[in-house]
Amino acid sequence: MRERVADRGLAPPVTDRRVVVTGLGAVSSLGNDAKTTWEGLVAGRSGIGPITLFDASAFRTKLAAEVKSLPDPGVSPAVRRRLSRTDVIGLAAAAEALADSGLDLQRENPERIGVVLGAGVSGLLDSERYFRTLLAEGPRAARPTLVRNHPPDQTTDRIAERWGLLGPRSTITTACSSSATSLGYAADLIRYGLCDVVVAGGADTLARLTHGGFNALRATDPDPCRPFDRERKGMTVGEAAGILVFEDEERARRRGARIRVRFLGYGVTCDAHHMTQPEPGGEAGARTIRACLRDAGLNPEHVDYVNAHATATPQNDPAETAALKRALGGRAKEIPVSAVKSMLGHCLCSAGAIEAVATVLTIATGVVPPTIRYEHPDPECDLDVVPNVAREVRVRAALSNSFAFGGNSTVVAFGAA
Amino acid sequence: MRGIVVTGASAVTPLGRDLAATRAALAEGLSGVAPVDAEPSSAERPERSPAARIVSFTTEPELPKMKARRLDRASQYAVVAAKQALADARYAMAGREERTGILLGTGSAGAGPLVEFERQMALEGPDAASPFLFPYTVSNAPASVAAIELQIRGPNVTITQKDPAALNALLYARLMLERGRADALLVGASDEWNLDYHLAYERIHATRSRKRAGFVLGEGAACLLVEDEDAARARGAVFRARVASVVMRPAAVSPQVRRADPERLAAAIRAALDEAGVEPAAVGLVHLSRNGVPETDEAEARALEQIFPRLPRTAAVKEALGENPCAGATQMALAVAELSERPETGAVLVNAFGAGGNFLSAVFSRP
Repeated sequence: MRERVADRGLAPPVTDRRVVVTGLGAVSSLGNDAKTTWEGLVAGRSGIGPITLFDASAFRTKLAAEVKSLPDPGVSPAVRRRLSRTDVIGLAAAAEALADSGLDLQRENPERIGVVLGAGVSGLLDSERYFRTLLAEGPRAARPTLVRNHPPDQTTDRIAERWGLLGPRSTITTACSSSATSLGYAADLIRYGLCDVVVAGGADTLARLTHGGFNALRATDPDPCRPFDRERKGMTVGEAAGILVFEDEERARRRGARIRVRFLGYGVTCDAHHMTQPEPGGEAGARTIRACLRDAGLNPEHVDYVNAHATATPQNDPAETAALKRALGGRAKEIPVSAVKSMLGHCLCSAGAIEAVATVLTIATGVVPPTIRYEHPDPECDLDVVPNVAREVRVRAALSNSFAFGGNSTVVAFGAA
Repeated sequence: MRGIVVTGASAVTPLGRDLAATRAALAEGLSGVAPVDAEPSSAERPERSPAARIVSFTTEPELPKMKARRLDRASQYAVVAAKQALADARYAMAGREERTGILLGTGSAGAGPLVEFERQMALEGPDAASPFLFPYTVSNAPASVAAIELQIRGPNVTITQKDPAALNALLYARLMLERGRADALLVGASDEWNLDYHLAYERIHATRSRKRAGFVLGEGAACLLVEDEDAARARGAVFRARVASVVMRPAAVSPQVRRADPERLAAAIRAALDEAGVEPAAVGLVHLSRNGVPETDEAEARALEQIFPRLPRTAAVKEALGENPCAGATQMALAVAELSERPETGAVLVNAFGAGGNFLSAVFSRP
C-alpha cells in the first residue's frame, strides 16, 4: 500500500489557504508565560522538583515538573472558584497568545474563530479528592461537585466562553499526542475555510492517576529524566499549557500581523502494535514522519531541526532514533534533535502544544534548546541531541514528534515565515 | 469537495448488540432505561436516577472472551461495533491498513479502570496499583484497542465534546478524507456507564430523577464506515448513504450550561441544510437531540418550527437509549440504515445539542 500512497500524493486542497502562527502563550514549570519558558529552555534550566500537589512519598518517583504558582486566569472570583487547575493555566496561556497575536476581538467576527485543544486530565485532581473521600469516609463526606470539571473539554469551552468565540470547537484526547493532533485539526479547519483563526494547543496538569500510572508501569525515573542518555530510566511527568494562534496567512498579512512562523502540515497514524510499547523497529514512527513531510511538502533535506518526543524511557528513545533515521535517512544524523522534556518533563496531553511553542521559537529566534542532563552517549540513540547547551542554528523547517499510548502518533511541521 | 459515502453502519446499545436488533427494539417501542439499584441504600439516594445500561453483554463472536477479559467495557463495545461496521461494508482490511483510520467520540471511556486504579492507589498504596489497568484509563483506549484488533494503521483520533462528540468526529473525518489522509474511516463513539460517576451526577442533580427532569446516562458504541466516494466505488462497495453535511454552531457559555437559544440551534440546522443543498421539504426524518433536558428540548422544538413549515417525521431515541456521545453515533447509524432501506426518506437530519453550547447538526442523504 505504501507505493500507492506515494503515487497518489495528496488531494489538492479546495483552497490554497495557508496557516501561520501569529500568537503564542505558555504556562510551564519554567514560568508562567512564553518568554520566561523560552528563556528557561535556552538557559538549560530544569523545571523538575519535588511533587507538592499531593503526597507522593509512597511513589517510586517523587518528582515532577509542576507549574510553580498558578497564574491569574483573568476571570471573576465567582467563575474562578469553578475552574480546575487545567482551566486556570489554559485560560492564562490563551490570554497571552491572543494578546500576542494583536487581534482586536471587538472587531473580529467571532463565528470565524475556533478553539481546538488537546486535553486529558482536566479536573481529575479534584475528582480524585472526591473518590478518595468517598473511599475513606463514605458518600456523605464526599463533595460530588468535585467531579464536575472532569470532562477533558471543559477548558476548551471555558476559553470559548471567556472570549465569546463562536467558531468550530474540539478537544482531542489521544493521551500524549493529543495536543499535536489538535494543531493538525486546527490547521485543517483554516485550510478548508471553516475558520479564519483558531486558538490551538493544549493544557494538562498533574494528577495522582497519571503520575501513579507511569509509576506502576515502571516508566518513570526516580531521578530527573535524562532523554537519550544511556543511563536513562524513564520519564518525569510535567504539566503545562501551550497555546498557538493559528491564522489564515493572507488574512494575517492583510491586517499587518507579526507572523512568527508557518504551520506546514502534519501526519497522524497508529502503529496498531501495543497499548504501551512503541513498535521497536521505528517503522511506525517513520511512517508518521513521512506522512507529515508529504502533507507539508517537505523533503528530508529541508528539515533543519527535530523537537523529539524523547520521553527518556528505555524503549521510546531508541525507537524514535530508528524512526528518524528511517524517515530522514542520512539527514537524521546531520541535524540537531533535542529533548525539551529534559527541562519541562512529559506534559502528557499538553506535551505536543508546549513543545510546538518551543519549536516555533526555535525557528523564530535561530536558537535550538538543549537536551540537559546528558552525560552518557547511547549507541542506540546516536543523534546530535544538542547536549546540555543551547546552540544557534538557522532553522528553515522543523518537526515536532508526539508518540502516545495506544500507538497514536502525530508529527507536526513548522517553517520560517 | 470530494464525495463522502457511508458504506457500513453498526450499533451496540442497551436495546441490542447490533444495529438490526436495536432498530427492531426501537420499532417495538422498547426502552433500555431501567432503575439503578445499588449501594448506598435508597434512603441515602433520594434522587435515584435511572440509566440505560447494557446488561449481559458478550463480545463474541466479534472478539474472543479471553481477549475481552483484559479490556474496559468501552473498548469492548468499540471493537464489536467497529468489526460490525466493517462487515456491513464488506470491507477487507488486508492491504488497506495504512489507508484506513478510526475517529471516535467519547464522554466516559476509561471511567471504570480509572475508578478502580484510584481505588487501588488509595486503599492498597501506589505499589499495588495495576500497571495493566492504567492504559485503559485514557479515553483513547477504545479507538486504540480497535486499531490493534483490526490492524487499522491510518489516522487514529479520539474526541470529547460532550454529547455531540461523534458528530465532531464526522466533521474531522470529512476534512481528513478531503485532504487524502485516508480512503476509509470508521467514525462513531464509545462509552461505558460507571456507577461511581452515576452516583456523583445524581447527587449534583445533573441527571433525571424521580424529582426532576433531565437526561439519562447511556452506554454503548456505534460506528459508520465513511469512505471517499471514488475509493469506495473502486472497491465495488454498496453505498448506503451519503454524508451531505456536518456543521458546528457553538454558543459561548459555561461548560455545564444546558440552556440554548433557539436562534442558535436554528442556525446550526439551517447551515447543515444549506451545506447539504437540501430543502427543508426534502428532509424525511429528523433524529432529535431531545434527551429530557427541558431547556434544550424546548429550544430544539422552537428551532425546528422556524425551519420546517411542516415538521417531518421525528425520532427521539435518547428516550430509550440514554445520553452520551454513543447516542449521537447511534443516531447517525440509524439514519444510515433508514436511507439504505428506504431511500424515499430523501434526507435525514441529525441534531446533537450538548451542554456548554456545543451545537452540531449533520445531514445524511440517499446514495
